[in-house]
Amino acid sequence: MLFFAVAAAALAVAVWLFIARQGDAEFEFLVDQRTDFKLEELSGNRAVFSCVVPFVNKGTQDGTIMDCFTRHLLPQEQFDAVEAFSRLELESRRRSDGYFEALIVPKTDGNAVIVTVAFAAKQGDIRQALTGMVDMPVEIYFQVVARGKWYVDKQRIVMMADEVAAALKPALAGA
Amino acid sequence: MAIVELVPVKTRILTPQDNIVEAIAAYAGDNIGPDDVVSVAESVVAITQGRIVRPEDMDPCFLARIICRLVPQKGSLSSAYGMQAAMDAEGKWRVTFAMIMGILAKLVGRNGVFYELAGEQAALIDDVTGTMPPFDKHIVYGPDNPNGVAEAIKARFGCHGAAVADVNDLKMAAILGVTAGLNPADLAQILIDNPFGNASQRTPIVVIKNYAQAARELAAG
Repeated sequence: MLFFAVAAAALAVAVWLFIARQGDAEFEFLVDQRTDFKLEELSGNRAVFSCVVPFVNKGTQDGTIMDCFTRHLLPQEQFDAVEAFSRLELESRRRSDGYFEALIVPKTDGNAVIVTVAFAAKQGDIRQALTGMVDMPVEIYFQVVARGKWYVDKQRIVMMADEVAAALKPALAGA
Repeated sequence: MAIVELVPVKTRILTPQDNIVEAIAAYAGDNIGPDDVVSVAESVVAITQGRIVRPEDMDPCFLARIICRLVPQKGSLSSAYGMQAAMDAEGKWRVTFAMIMGILAKLVGRNGVFYELAGEQAALIDDVTGTMPPFDKHIVYGPDNPNGVAEAIKARFGCHGAAVADVNDLKMAAILGVTAGLNPADLAQILIDNPFGNASQRTPIVVIKNYAQAARELAAG
């Protein structure tokens, strides 16, 4: 009896060590390596900006990003001149519908997403409306399925007001 | 001499609300003759049968979470959810037993024992990303009763035969279900170049034209 108990305990320890050594996928969006937002479109009451955010699976196992989307934070109490929209798409597999196709990312490999932010002026011209723009956090949510239980994580970039102004500057100069 | 011709049929995305036989009627019904064989992709048959599940709707058991760790990470059962799907389809203890025997067999140099013992569904399950949107976020089981599906297709269209096939771009073709009188190995060879295309081509039906006529001429020498 004691022999079986010891054998079972030894097996449990061996399995635990195996799993611990095997590890799992671990995703990180390299927010400090993102590109500056650039102006994609400017017309009347609407301006569209985008930037590229790389990500990497720095874990020891392949993993799947099941879903990935943005959440911009621009409360009206802080800035009420525009309505904001945001979305992202995979840089290597662009699509216009906002759908994120589940993606296997091998261990140590990575890719990048294009984050697009659009502003629509609530009144008048968008260039005027964006004059008092504030720094706006944009959170990137991602759902991961790998060896363990699925989970949702998020990382945050901040679209700086200075960045928006700088991206608008050439267009304003040409106007 | 009759020439066997493969005619891929484009469809909209088929869903669990569809019936595969009615879908074939809608998209290929006019192009199926008595000498033809109708083949359909197994994953689409499974989807129309509702044999899909999202990981969020599953609760992998302890064994699934442990055993999936023993599957190479490219495999569909390498996630706890893929493994749980296999256990749901074939039985938790059967899959566990198959894994133990598979490991022991590997120790003596024999591969593939796990899939031999774990049941057909264990080999047919597609993990997430295995199917085109919107089913890329689902685990897709293998089809239920593929022989019955093939017979139903033949009965509806009066064609020479029908088959449910699992074909990929890696030159691997398996016939999961087929009507009586057809040779699965011959059909697999005909479909080896994956006329179903990749997922985005949306051609889950392939009509093999003139199959019976060509077979008759071949038999007559």
